[in-house]
Amino acid sequence: MITAKGLYKRYRKTVAVDRLTFDVRPGVVTGFLGPNGSGKSTTMRLMLGLDHGEGETLFDGAKFTDLRRPMDKVGTLLEAKPFHPTRSARNHLRMLASANGVTDKRVDEVMELVGLGTVKKKKPKGYSLGMAQRLGLAQALLGDPRILLLDEPTNGLDPHGIHWMRDMLKHLAAEGRTIFVSSHLLSEMQLMSDELVVVGRGKMIFNGDVDRFVREFTQSTVIVRSPTAEGFVPALETAGAEVTKGAEGELVVSGLEIGAVGHLAFTEGVELSELSTRSASLEEAFMSATGSSEEFVAAEPPAAPATEKTDGADHA
Amino acid sequence: MLDALRYEWTRLTTLRSTYWLIGLGVLAALAIPVIAGFAVGDEEMIPEALAIMLNGGAAFGIPFLAVFMAIVGIFATGHEYRHGTIQPTLTALPQRSRLVLAKLLVVSGVTVVVTFVSLALNALAVLVFWGELPGLFEDPLRAALLGYVAYTLVYTLVGLGLGLLFRGVPSALVVIFLAPLVIENLIFGLSFLPALDWLVPVVKFLPFSSGARLMAFDLSEMSGMGMPDFDYFGRWGSGGVFAVFAAAIIAGAWILFKKRDA
Repeated sequence: MITAKGLYKRYRKTVAVDRLTFDVRPGVVTGFLGPNGSGKSTTMRLMLGLDHGEGETLFDGAKFTDLRRPMDKVGTLLEAKPFHPTRSARNHLRMLASANGVTDKRVDEVMELVGLGTVKKKKPKGYSLGMAQRLGLAQALLGDPRILLLDEPTNGLDPHGIHWMRDMLKHLAAEGRTIFVSSHLLSEMQLMSDELVVVGRGKMIFNGDVDRFVREFTQSTVIVRSPTAEGFVPALETAGAEVTKGAEGELVVSGLEIGAVGHLAFTEGVELSELSTRSASLEEAFMSATGSSEEFVAAEPPAAPATEKTDGADHA
Repeated sequence: MLDALRYEWTRLTTLRSTYWLIGLGVLAALAIPVIAGFAVGDEEMIPEALAIMLNGGAAFGIPFLAVFMAIVGIFATGHEYRHGTIQPTLTALPQRSRLVLAKLLVVSGVTVVVTFVSLALNALAVLVFWGELPGLFEDPLRAALLGYVAYTLVYTLVGLGLGLLFRGVPSALVVIFLAPLVIENLIFGLSFLPALDWLVPVVKFLPFSSGARLMAFDLSEMSGMGMPDFDYFGRWGSGGVFAVFAAAIIAGAWILFKKRDA
């Protein structure tokens, strides 16, 4: 169990983490979501005492910096390639293991577990990002901890690796461990996480289960297809709905339940070829939740240059 | 604390640079008696020359072993930041003071052992060429050799402190080489100018120059030819100036290490 209370971090005038309070339960994978620059990594560093700020994080009741042999209790993966270029991967793990009473046998075990057994004596500078992430996970698993804190562990992994990581984390959670994992791969989070902590500009946006997040941050819409769709719009608007036209001419109705739309069509004598609801994906919910709190917003790409038409229509 | 010591020992011994830096330092120091042996091996060996042979020319202004060991010291902390390993290190060993203390103890222990090994190898070389080690266990040679061990140790600790202070390797390397070679020599030289004679009392507090007096065979000051009276401290007093300098750097770096984000 992780209990974070009032986490706060300021860099001069910028508040990076703004009074975050949340719990991470054992037995489930809890995703930590937020756009770039939203303070996810800083929050994790605060939790581990790597950064100094306000607030407190307890790992099964103890502060991380008070833990003797912390790898036995909390496994961490923070940065993608924090390795000395001339030290072999196995020696990198042996070094960290030696501070926690972990044996060389266990080092070899975790390297096999993450699929790096055949390259354990190689230097990580030759590792791909995906291999480095596997080494990072091996490091996190060294002490067979009950809690895992992983920052973007799927970064750089190929689809097979992502699938492997997802299964590994779900398996570890099923063993009753507490898993807290950040990612910007929202679709991955949808498949991997049971619960979510969502932040934007350092502030808490949501804390709860994934389905509730989708429900809360998406406006379910009703899709109406009809040969007389245009004529149906005034009736819908009079009933309080907001209506927009979809790309294929369908009506996208919000503010009315599907049953009410159906009833209105019946009473107005409108023929329907489709009446359905559309729920947003986690990605859409995420964009809806964090859209106004993105730290770095890119400009819209410029429109494609117009091509000269040759059919003469423009000259008519 | 034992866990922290094990960590630092494993960190140091799993780095290739530790071996080649120590090897280069020992070989460079060994080269002095070997070259001298071939050049003037037929001349009589006197204790003053023996001091230079045994400390590998360090007392003559070229502290090879100390310089290479100082780089080992800089790497002990600077590499952690340069390669980002400070994060996994602090997640494996979150008690920062224990980590610094372990680094100080392990690097110090290795430095002292390597310096004695270097002294022994140089003594062997002298024995091969001259067949004797006159006055080895008598002062001032004995004190000068112990001073050499202390000098190498403090020099290494300055490196370790600078690596931690600057959180990297290049700045620490620049300071540890520029300070003795340029800044201290400049102050020493300028103190000879009558207009800048207020620098004279400062000279005995120049840390690296003071440290070098630890391994001097003859501590008497040169006089005449307009040489100012620097009123130097004795061997161990001068060593104390160097040690206080190292302690100040380490203390500052340690406090900042505790306060800064990793």
